[in-house]
Formats: sequence, structure tokens, C-alpha cells
Amino acid sequence: MPLMSHSPSEASVGAATGPLTGLRILDLTDERGIYGAKLLADLGAEVIRLEPPGGDPLRQRGPHLERAGSPDVSLWHAFFASNRKFVTVDLDASAGRSQVRRLAGWADIVLDTIGEQSASGAPIPTLEAAGLDADALLGEKPGLVVVRVSSFGPEGPWRNYLAPDLVASALGGICATTGDRDTPPLKLFGELAFALSGAYAAVAALAALRHARETGEGQIVDVPVHECIASCLEHVFMFYWYHDRMPYPEGAVMPRRGSLHWSSAYVVMQALGGSIMVTPTPDTEAQVMWLAEEGAHGDLLDERWSQPGNYFAWVRRLMELLREWVATKEIEPFFFEAQARHAPFGWVLPPERIADNPQLEARGWWTPYDLAGTTVRGPGAPYRFSETPWQMQAYGGPGRDTASVLAEIGWESRP
Amino acid sequence: LTGPLEGIRVLDFSHVLAGPFATRLFGDMGADVVKVMPAFRAVGSAGPPHPYHAMWNRNKRALSLDMSTPDGQDIGRRLAEKADVVVDNFAAGVLIRLGIGYEEVSVTNPGVIYLQMSGMGEGGPWSGFVTYAPTIHALAGLTYLTAVPDREDIGIGFSYNDHASGLHGAVAVLAALDARLRTGRGQRIDVSQFETGVNLAGPTLLDLFANGRAARPVANRLPYDDAAPHGVYPCAGAKSDAIQDERWVAIACMKEDQWLALRRVMGEPAWAAELKFASSTARVANLEALDRLVAGWTRTQLAEEVMERCQQAGVPAGVVQNGADMAEADPQLRHSSFLMELDETVPGLPRTFADRLPLHFHATPANVYRRPRLVGEDNATVMSDWLGLPASEVDRLAAEGTLT
Repeated sequence: MPLMSHSPSEASVGAATGPLTGLRILDLTDERGIYGAKLLADLGAEVIRLEPPGGDPLRQRGPHLERAGSPDVSLWHAFFASNRKFVTVDLDASAGRSQVRRLAGWADIVLDTIGEQSASGAPIPTLEAAGLDADALLGEKPGLVVVRVSSFGPEGPWRNYLAPDLVASALGGICATTGDRDTPPLKLFGELAFALSGAYAAVAALAALRHARETGEGQIVDVPVHECIASCLEHVFMFYWYHDRMPYPEGAVMPRRGSLHWSSAYVVMQALGGSIMVTPTPDTEAQVMWLAEEGAHGDLLDERWSQPGNYFAWVRRLMELLREWVATKEIEPFFFEAQARHAPFGWVLPPERIADNPQLEARGWWTPYDLAGTTVRGPGAPYRFSETPWQMQAYGGPGRDTASVLAEIGWESRP
Repeated sequence: LTGPLEGIRVLDFSHVLAGPFATRLFGDMGADVVKVMPAFRAVGSAGPPHPYHAMWNRNKRALSLDMSTPDGQDIGRRLAEKADVVVDNFAAGVLIRLGIGYEEVSVTNPGVIYLQMSGMGEGGPWSGFVTYAPTIHALAGLTYLTAVPDREDIGIGFSYNDHASGLHGAVAVLAALDARLRTGRGQRIDVSQFETGVNLAGPTLLDLFANGRAARPVANRLPYDDAAPHGVYPCAGAKSDAIQDERWVAIACMKEDQWLALRRVMGEPAWAAELKFASSTARVANLEALDRLVAGWTRTQLAEEVMERCQQAGVPAGVVQNGADMAEADPQLRHSSFLMELDETVPGLPRTFADRLPLHFHATPANVYRRPRLVGEDNATVMSDWLGLPASEVDRLAAEGTLT
């Protein structure tokens, strides 16, 4: 059942109050960097997103708002292009290219994209497509920050390789360590890989801005998606570099193995009515005592386990006994009892169970999205600022702000 | 050569991964990060020379301050008064109990920024929950959605959300630093790692609320858009039967011309010209047959050759690289020297390695990598640099056990 209302008063409309209020950003990102532009826009920066005539190709990404009488709205785009001003520029016309140049001069930060884009349709305007050069822009405005998101960096043997999410995730090491023995290597659901490069782009922009504010010196920052992903693989390089120091037999490469964590001490188990991520850590003794309270500890307290060299066999035995024990438990009370005992178990929840999550409700986390006159409940802020709160402004259609933005930068159209 | 955050002082009470990943970013970018790590906390994977500790704690200084004593809390408070940023991922309220909560410290250090990265955020019925990344993945829907259909026991194969939370924490701190220039004041930032994770399913949640449609796992397909082939396919060349030696290639035809180009790369097999594969909609409708036929071709090829021939023809394709592939064969990572060995090793480890910050700052290159430090190794310099304490005073604190 759609949970939706039509009351525009639910949307927070008003002056931005976020920590980046007053900061000016030109958003030329595609999927690979757009999450970073979103983070900065949601934090109160004035972010102008350029789109080609006919609209941002990312407005075609699903899911879409499916409602009789509503205009077509990409919910993908509404999320990732939140809090933007939308300006149409025609790069086939010299006026359009001049407008991009003028907007780059207006901006404190340009979030740019290098390389071919994966979305269908006309490409997103970039500095290169507008005939502009980042170094030349810096020559004119030395304090400018230009962040360039690319798949592999501007140089190197793979610089022209095409890498939409699935390919970036394969090359970047995500797929090899996700999936199970009886499935192919898997990508992550949705946009999780490019969320990393996007967030890194926001870090790059704000760190370079800090240096520019201190010294007046702007700069270019290159953000290769491939390296961003590779830096977020937790155990992958640890095993490669240090496997001879690790008490696991798998060697330099840990195979994909479903939910079983590299430490072998976290895994998803089947309970009655649902699945739950179970681990005896961090207080293994307390977990064994819990089993013992219920007579489910088997031979775990045997003397023989305490002999040197038996610890990992003991952990395997513990996990076996946990699996048998968990299979007898009703999921919901079991999860809450585990957490009440400070055991970091996690109930494997589908998205519809997140919609009514009591923690999100209590923290007032959900935020109304105003989508072309329809108000829809949507995700809230990924962080909470005590003094400069986050806000969600009404989403807009293609080119909504073209006239007002061109007026703001003093552009006079000459017919 | 320096980084863009030169001169920023970070007092780091964080442990495990999410917090230390945020402060690793600050340290890599030139901030002075002081990690508070008393001996009794630096056990197992939480301290040197454990490889897990080595992964997340380069470019930080190590201070072995014991905050459980009044003298330790006094030193902690004086350090917080000198800090631009204080980071913790304790449960909410721990720093307040130690007498160095934001309300207290901001009286004398109004510019200070507190980043608290707890599992569930402050307040709410779940705020006391104990969580690690696998817990958050499960509760936030990420485990459920990253899977093949009808399996709930797969999920993400590494602690993704810890990295994502660290990155969000870093963005928040840098934004608050910029706001401070305008307002003259710092503030508190409350990061709920759970909310960070839920937020990343944004379009899926909007789809749920707007259209009443609950997402289900789709393996390697795109959940909302027609693109096919869009999968991971088995290849020849495995050097053993072990699962980690399997060879796979990802192929993603995002546009019609990429499918036509893939047909040419495959040698225009007759099946590819059939009507049931003539459009992306038709290919998605006949996906099982399509995937089987594509796999029939890839099985006879080396993954590297499929990638190279596809990319030459303009088809997105990539080898499913594992850690060894990336370290030994990836020419792009080699080109940028992304993986490296540090000049100085952590005592207790034969060699120490690092992956570089993936941000290439042209003016402030951020290319200094100092090895992770031992417990208390920087006590004297930190006490001198931050508090102006002479060596004799540091010796006294050590003798008393305030510095462990």
C-alpha cells in the first residue's frame, strides 16, 4: 500500500540552513560522482546541475513514480539529484558553452566527470564537452577547486575502459568477495559502489576547499572510482599482504563464502520465521554461558578444547552449536533478547520492515520528498548536525531553474 | 609536500574500523591525528602489530592515555580543549561520563567539532544496540538485497558499511569545519551507522513509499532498468579447482550499440541474431537463455582476453579481480602505485603495506605515509606539541600509569 500524502506542508521548504550555506558548486557528475554532489547539496550548498536539452539522461533511471496523473519522475534521480538547481545548456551552441564557462567562474567548486558515461541518452555536460580546460579555469580563478571523477584516472592503460557499476565492482574487488560458492560472484544491490566514489568526491571537494580558504590556492583533484572501491575492501588486501600472520588456512585470497565473515565468527543463520546474523563476539564467554543456561552448550566446556592449538576448532564447534540452537528460536523475541544481552546479532530485514523501523521512527529520520506536487516519504540525513541541520527542498523537472540562474550570473540572452 | 588538512588537530578515540577509517582519511590528508590507545585497549586486532590494526592506522600518532582515572580524564580534557575535531565511536554518552563531552569542552573550546559514530545514533529504542558492520548490513536491508533470489544468507562479503560510515563522517566533519569559518562555532555531529546504511538504499525506499513495491534481490541484474547481458560469467584458465582460483568476467551492455558490438566480439553466433534477443526488453525477458549462451562463449575464453576484446570494441567488461589479481596483475593500480610497501615496518611485522588515499590532489599531494605506531610511541611528542608538557612531566604521567 502506498504510504503517501499530498500535503505540500509536509515538505520542508525554506532557506537553507546547512553547514555549507553560501558555497557555490557546479555539478557535472554522472552516476560515478552524483552521490557526492548530493551530499554537498543536502548540506546546504547552492548546487547547479547542468543538463542537456531533452533532460539529464539520469532522469531515465528507474524506479519511476507510478501514479496516474503525475508527470514522469525518476525516483532514482529525485534521490541523487536532490536539492539542486536544474539548468539546461546546449553545448552544440556557442552560447551554451559560454554559459558553462560563466558558471565555472561563478562556482567555488566544480564537480566534473572524465570519460564516457554509462547512461543512455545525451551525455551530461562536462568541462571537456564544453571545450573548457580545468587548468585554464584555474589560471583565471586561482582559488577554484575542480574535482574530476573518472573510472580509472586520467592516465594509465585502462583510462578509456568503460566501467558501469557491475564492471567497476568486478575490477575493483567487490564481486570476488561477495556471493557464495554456489552463486556467481555478485555485485552489491543498487548504487553502493558508486556511493563510495561519490562520497570520496565530496571529501576531496571539501578538503581542497579548506586548503583554498586557508591559502587562496585552488587545485584539481582526481578521483578514480577504481581506487576508491579498492580502498574500501576491508580484509582483501590484509589477507593478500599478511596471510602468513593470520590463523586461517585460506591463503592470500579469501574465497567468496556467503555471509561467513573473514574471521569465521559472523554468519547468517536460520531461525524460526526469519534469518539472523549471529556472532559469539565480542564477549564469547557470555555467549557460551547463554547456551549453557539453556542446556545447548554441548561439549563446549570440555577440558580438551583448552589445549593449545584447539581454539579455532573450538570456534567452529561453537558456530555449529549456535546454528542448531538458533534454528529452534522465534526470530523476533530472539533478536531482541540477544541485543538486550549486548550480543551484536542482526535480524536480516527486507526493505518493507525498514519502513516501520521503531528506531528510525523515534529519531524522526524519514524526510518528506516533494516530487512535482506529490509528497512521498523518503530517506533522511546520513548524519545529524546540532547547529546546522540538513534540509530537503522540492525536487524539480528538467531545466526548472535555467532562467533564474542565468539571471543570477548576469547572462543576457542576445537573440 | 603536504596535504590539504595540514594544521587540523584530531583527537581520535575510535576503534575497529568505521571511526578509524574516517581518521585515516584525515591523517592521509595531513591532519595531526592523535589516536588514544592505552595498552589495555590495544589487544588482538585492535592494536599493533595485528595486520587489521596496520590497515587502518597509518598516519596517526599513538597516545597511551588511560581515561579511566581522574588524572587521565584531566589530560583528556586538556587535549580536547586543543582539538579541532574529536572523534569517537563509543556508545552514546561515554565521553560525557568521562567528563569530556561536547557541552563541557565547548565552553572553553567553542570551535571544537565532535563526531560521534555510533551504531544506532543517539536516542531511540535501539540506541543501546551493539553493532558491527555485519549487524548493520542485516538490519539496514543490505544483506537481504545483495543476494540471488530466495537466499537471505549471502549479503556483502566485507565490512562495506564501516567504510561508508567513515566516509560520511569525514564529509560531515569537513562541512562543519567550513561552517565554523562563517559562524565561529563548532558543533556535534551524530552519525548513526544504521541510518547511513539505510540511506544508501534511497531509490528503493522511495519506490516502496511511492509505489508500494518492496525490492527483492536480483543477483547481478539491474533492479529497475533493462540492460542485458548484465552479468558475471565463468571463464577458462582456473589454475585449480579451488573456488578462489575460479576465473570470471563481468559484462554489462548498457546500450544497444554495446550489445551489437558484443555480438561482433563473439563472432556473430547465429543465436545472437534471434528475434528473442533483438532488444534490451526482449533480452531481459529471455535472460536465462541469454546468460547461458553468453556463458557458453566465455567458458572457452580467458577473462583477461574477454575484457580486452570487449573494451577494444566499446563493450563494458572487466575481470572479476581478487586481491592477488589487483596486487599482481592490475596495470592501472600499478600505474598509480596504489599499493605500496612502507619504508619503515611496524615492529613485530616483517613488512608493512598500505593502499594509497584514492584522491589525487594536484597542489597538496598528500603522499606522506607513516607507519602505524606502537602503544605510547608518541606520548612525549604529543604531550609537548599539544600541551607544552616537558619530558619530565610525561615521565611522571608514565610512572603513575596515566600513560600506560
